[in-house]
Amino acid sequence: MEPVLAARGITKRFPGVLALDHVDLEVAGGEIHAVLGQNGAGKTTLMNVLFGLVQPDEGVLYLHGRPVEVRSPHDALARGIGMVHQTRRLVAAHTVLENVVLGHPRVRGVLNLRDARLEVSALCRRYGVALDLGARVWQLSEGERQWVEILKALYRGARVLILDEPTSVLTPPEAAALLAGLRAMVRGEGVTVLLVTHKLPTVMAACDRVTVLRAGRVVARLRTAEATEDLLVRHMVGRDVAPGPPGRSGAPGRRVLEVEDLACLGDRGLAALRGVTFALREGEILGVAGVTGNGQEELAHVLAGLRPATAGRILLDGRDITHLPPRARWTLGVGYIPAERVEVASIGAFSLVDNTALTYHFDPAFVRRGLLDDAGLAALTRRIMDGFDVKAPHPYARARQLSGGNLQKMILGRVLSRAPRVLVAHLPTQGLDVEATAFVRARLRDAAAGGAAVVLISEDLDEILALGDWVAPIYEGRFVARLARAQADAETVGAMMAGLRREEAAAG
Amino acid sequence: MRLGRHEVVLEPRPAPPAGYAVLTAAVAILAALALASALFLSADASPAAAYRAIFSYAFLNPHGLAATVQRSIYLLFCTYAFLVPFRAGLWNIGLPGQVYAGGLAAFAVPLLVWREPTGAPSPALVIGLMVAAAAVAGATTGGIAGILRARFQVNEILVTMMLNSILFWVVAYMVKEGGPFMGATAEGESFTLPAPLRPPLWWGVPFTAVVALGAAALLDLLFARAALGYRIRAFGASPAAARYGGISPAAISLLVFLIGGALAGVAGYHTFAAIPGVHKIPGNYGYYGDLGFYGMISALIARGSALGAIPIAVLFGGLSLGARFAQGALRLPFGVDYALLGLLMMTFIGSHVLHAFRVVWRRRGTAVADAAPTGAPGT
Repeated sequence: MEPVLAARGITKRFPGVLALDHVDLEVAGGEIHAVLGQNGAGKTTLMNVLFGLVQPDEGVLYLHGRPVEVRSPHDALARGIGMVHQTRRLVAAHTVLENVVLGHPRVRGVLNLRDARLEVSALCRRYGVALDLGARVWQLSEGERQWVEILKALYRGARVLILDEPTSVLTPPEAAALLAGLRAMVRGEGVTVLLVTHKLPTVMAACDRVTVLRAGRVVARLRTAEATEDLLVRHMVGRDVAPGPPGRSGAPGRRVLEVEDLACLGDRGLAALRGVTFALREGEILGVAGVTGNGQEELAHVLAGLRPATAGRILLDGRDITHLPPRARWTLGVGYIPAERVEVASIGAFSLVDNTALTYHFDPAFVRRGLLDDAGLAALTRRIMDGFDVKAPHPYARARQLSGGNLQKMILGRVLSRAPRVLVAHLPTQGLDVEATAFVRARLRDAAAGGAAVVLISEDLDEILALGDWVAPIYEGRFVARLARAQADAETVGAMMAGLRREEAAAG
Repeated sequence: MRLGRHEVVLEPRPAPPAGYAVLTAAVAILAALALASALFLSADASPAAAYRAIFSYAFLNPHGLAATVQRSIYLLFCTYAFLVPFRAGLWNIGLPGQVYAGGLAAFAVPLLVWREPTGAPSPALVIGLMVAAAAVAGATTGGIAGILRARFQVNEILVTMMLNSILFWVVAYMVKEGGPFMGATAEGESFTLPAPLRPPLWWGVPFTAVVALGAAALLDLLFARAALGYRIRAFGASPAAARYGGISPAAISLLVFLIGGALAGVAGYHTFAAIPGVHKIPGNYGYYGDLGFYGMISALIARGSALGAIPIAVLFGGLSLGARFAQGALRLPFGVDYALLGLLMMTFIGSHVLHAFRVVWRRRGTAVADAAPTGAPGT
């Protein structure tokens, strides 16, 4: 079949990095084509080349067999190539309709929302998109927001859609719905979809063909029907990845953490955590499973001291720490790995040594007469880099030079270097590639085996079930249940994440 | 920018070589002087003569040089008053207000404790009290912005700017409109400092020079090595990360404004009470307050380095005096000094672009054109 979109010999060099090395890509009309690869494999650069955000150093793009030069996103859209970025680019306070028409070349000056509404609702019917055009974007779920982005691209006349990690922030049911919707669009309307991801289930579930990138090169082109997840992992990583040892992190010891009826407010001043109670012993991992926005972030914050509790108590080794500030909690042994590794857990403009100081600037072992012990911090940073397999040129490299996986390993290493009694890990493997994910999970398990009580907050049910000794589905600020790992199965916990009580979940 | 088959683009410079900062600064100064030449030509003055007048007065003439040094000390205190909050990501636009507060507090001390005929208490003690009072008053004024920022997240730029206005009029009342600081002659100035309270000079320079240089060394040490400096820098680079690391945003916001305000307060002491021939709050005190803004510029140009700001403050101090002198001597139009400083400011800011980026000139679309014939698709 004639490829709708093709790239030949695309090469792109960034200072010191060969991001793309003579990459060929062929996307046939009416298919869902996956571009699969680990972080840093060059997926995003390739997509940016196709969408005109990056100009290749060599190589040519072909659209319907004709060479084209895509110099800007504007060019790309004019040629029917639309892109849905991983991060949402919507105006939260505006309606769906306003977001869809925003930035359309025809909408300069006078905005005729009545005509636009007719056009957009026709578009919705045609592509089977169920959205309330009058709803404000902030009211929508992540899955619905994704559809707004897709609709926006379609409204601009896109016939080839590039989706960058579309399932990364969606719940499993939302992801399934998205993929089903995309399939229907491809079948019924002949739209072509190019899906960039490092998630194997997404590829296997929805895509016709897959191009695997590794270190800027194409290493495989396969039909998904002929591929297996193992095969794809081998191509992606370049070798086999041993699965981590199964569950059970050693015999539990003394009770470390007790949380009683803990409540707090969210950013909008509404109750976000409405009475959470649990206790953890040394060596235990509690997996808090839930869909974004059910109080997970607030739970992490209130445990770390970044948000005041409005009710309840937190006891660490029997001592009430409910009202202690963050620094005191670090000192007493509460370690926190936030979900936002770039914005919160590190400072991009600082060196790795200065990043290490983030949780040591108050530590008498590293501060003498008010001055930081730079040599000591550098030595510690080197130990973390060696111990946690952090690939960075040297300890004085800027944190922003590190890839997501290396940064997360650095953060994990820094937090664990304080030997915390309690470790709160929020989305510790989000966006990491297969190898880094396995590494982080193994280290969390090691931390528990070393005697820490771990609160693992994740949206990845597989992760929760693989690591947790206890599983607590969280919904609207409350634990729906607290299950021993043996009693927790994916269906029950998944149903509870959606708010079903124990009996309902069992019955369903 | 496209020019036919070629294009000119700015590319980020991966790692600017050492010494490059000095080179770009020199280019900026030369560019400003070249641009200002047009100004002098338009006033039918020879640029060479104008620059000779400016530089020889500011840096060679004994009177001019002394004045340059005095003014540079003042600008340095203002620079550091801006620099400390700036390292925490906060903008202290309240330099004039804090300077006025420092000046008033300094003059309040002799008013309260100095007894003329007996000369008691000892002049050295009173001078010490004056400096301390100036620092405390400046810190208090800055602290208002700091505490509002810390407790209620009120924008510090607005607060410090409004405090400038408030203190401007407080001074007006104190020295002009019947307040206790009025001079005996009622010429719209404060009383003149009694002779024993005028600080001694070494080669025409008061002790405040040592304080300013000491502050420079201490600040660079603070931000390079100290835990406190680290906390301030971390908060400035990322408030969320700093909070995560156990740094209290409220404590840092308040602290940097207390330190900054205290330094500006000392600037007020220096400029009104320590400079020979002044020793009073003059009627045009607003001019000195506004001059404090060049401290902001010096801090920005020096990229937060306290010692690095010294040559810049000296340059601004010298040019502001030399240009004012040349204006009189060569009958140049009013405002030439401001225009020269303004141009310098702009070229300095432009030089930052030159420092961070390089200009690249290349042919357009070569890669695509070369690759097209070989990579034809199989159609």
